[in-house]
Amino acid sequence: MKKIKISWLALKNLKRKFIRTFVLLLLVAVVTGTLLSATIFISGMQNALRIGTYRLGADVLVVPEKNESQAKAALLSGEPTSFYMDGDVYDKVKDVEGVKRASTQLFIKPTSFTCCYNVETFLVAFDPSTDFTVTPWLQKKLKKPLADDEVIAGSAMPLMTDDIIPFFGTPFNVAGTLEPTGMKFFDQSIFMTMQAAFEMAEKSKGRSVQPLELEKGKISAVLVQVEDGFTPERVAIRIEHQIEGIKAIASDEVTSTVRRQLAGLLKGILLISAILWILALLMTGFSFYMIVNERQRELGLLRAMGATKTHVFRLIITEAVILSLAGGIAGIVAGGGLLSVSKAVITRNLKLPYLLPSLPVLTELAAGALIFAVITGLLASLLPAVFASSMEPYDAIRKGE
Amino acid sequence: MIEVSDIVKSYSIGGQALKAVDHASFTVQQGEIISVIGHSGSGKTTLLSLVGGLTKPDSGKVIVDGTDIWSLDDNSRSHFRNRNMSFIYQFSSLIPTLTSLENILLPTAFGDFPGDVRAYAEELIERVGLKEKTNAYPSHLSGGQQRRIAIARAFINRPSVVLADEPTGDLDEETEQDIIRLFSEMNGALKTTFIIVTHNKEIAGQAARQLRMSNGILTGAA
Ligand SMILES: Nc1ncnc2c1ncn2[C@@H]1O[C@H](COP(=O)(O)OP(=O)(O)OP(=O)(O)O)[C@@H](O)[C@H]1O
Ligand SMILES: [Mg+2]
Repeated sequence: MKKIKISWLALKNLKRKFIRTFVLLLLVAVVTGTLLSATIFISGMQNALRIGTYRLGADVLVVPEKNESQAKAALLSGEPTSFYMDGDVYDKVKDVEGVKRASTQLFIKPTSFTCCYNVETFLVAFDPSTDFTVTPWLQKKLKKPLADDEVIAGSAMPLMTDDIIPFFGTPFNVAGTLEPTGMKFFDQSIFMTMQAAFEMAEKSKGRSVQPLELEKGKISAVLVQVEDGFTPERVAIRIEHQIEGIKAIASDEVTSTVRRQLAGLLKGILLISAILWILALLMTGFSFYMIVNERQRELGLLRAMGATKTHVFRLIITEAVILSLAGGIAGIVAGGGLLSVSKAVITRNLKLPYLLPSLPVLTELAAGALIFAVITGLLASLLPAVFASSMEPYDAIRKGE
Repeated sequence: MIEVSDIVKSYSIGGQALKAVDHASFTVQQGEIISVIGHSGSGKTTLLSLVGGLTKPDSGKVIVDGTDIWSLDDNSRSHFRNRNMSFIYQFSSLIPTLTSLENILLPTAFGDFPGDVRAYAEELIERVGLKEKTNAYPSHLSGGQQRRIAIARAFINRPSVVLADEPTGDLDEETEQDIIRLFSEMNGALKTTFIIVTHNKEIAGQAARQLRMSNGILTGAA
């Protein structure tokens, strides 16, 4: 130490009243942590809702009329199944009023010879160019579009990226894995492109003991997302009315109930966070007012030694910044911990799809929380700092008696 | 050199104006030691604060080493204090969380201090005879030792003026003598000007000149 620095002085001051510093730090930590985890939770829920409907992954599912019960079993309990209809159903569905997006899928039930794992696997071929139900669950974005020799594995599959798994005699590279969704349909499935499925079927004739009977151009289902202002039920009725031989299954009532409950929950969390924040602001502000008040003489002495108003202002503000920075970091760490615990609980108990925002977004949110904490500290200490720096030195020294 | 001309400072207490310092004028030459005596409440501390730029006079001028300190803005006045002046108080003015050495270095936080300030601080601590207390905290020092550290701190900026407000108050006689000796040593070595407020007749007598305050009016000034 050569010269004394103001930041060093601020640190020494904070250590002086250790308990008070600790309590304030804890307060900032709690507020930051709550706010951050609430934000992440909310954006996670919004992510999940944006992806599509809670169980089906779509508002309406269009399947062959005679396979309705199989389709429901596949989607609700992930039971492997196979059924096919003509590909032109997709073009017809797309044009129905109220349909915002549509994407095709092909369900393939692998034979026991094709897979070497104990877990019951369901093969699903999808169209990556129109898909809105599968890829949003990806743990990490794929580096490049899914190739025809690649698959995506559900979270319950004992597979990792770059593993190789054969189906019907054709080996596939695992290009990515999905987040746990709480839905067997996603968690216990392997996803590949439509093109890959057709090629696999073609090759299976020569390679596989039990070849896959799949005609090119066939599909199993069309998944539909409806436009805002349309209910799934209405669009489903329209589709059934306009297209022959199909069944349009609307997402059940559960979805909208869940959405409503969630909205209420989010509002509650936001309200609590806001109240907590105002409380923290007031408490920190009051504490800093006390800090300044009981140190009046000392601050006056600093002025007598040649500290300018700016020096005094900086000293108080620096104390607040150090405090809120430390509190903010503690809060982010604690909030992160809380979140990873709650993630498991939410997915398991509520059976709600729950998606954590991506790492860059998480980093951004954490940085935002830190900035927020520091701003809180700055706000709380601003008035006390102004008050401290505007005192006349002689007055400050006298009043401190 | 300090030139004080016609300064007035009044407070209104319960609607009544109280002249704490009433048209005081005096001059102190560089290197002079003068004392200010007077009853409690006569305005000694107020006078010192006016000279030191800590409280603004209602009227009058204070010129220190050619600078009219009350014509400066607050920032410049602070810098001026940091470079040219020091204060010593009757009460303990050390920061409890800083060691002796850190307390002595405290003024360096607020200005440019060229050279090895740490070495100089150590030299000062030796001068006041507390080398072994360099890293001790104020709570581990006696009242007299604390005062000596405060005196050492007063010299870290090699001030041209030291304003001491009852620097030996509530200290025993021996320590009192130590401090007076220290002042004259510093005065001899650095040609520092001292204005010492004191109740103690003996100390006042040792000064080259004596000013007397009574009800805000200064007498004995040349
Ligand atoms: N900030 C203030 N507000 C109101 N009155 C004040 C203020 N500062 C000083 N006074 C009054 O001015 C007068 C002079 O006070 P001052 O502190 O200068 O006296 P003093 O000679 O130093 O006394 P003591 O020997 O007790 O320290 C006193 O009557 C005091 O009450
Ligand atoms: Mg006094």
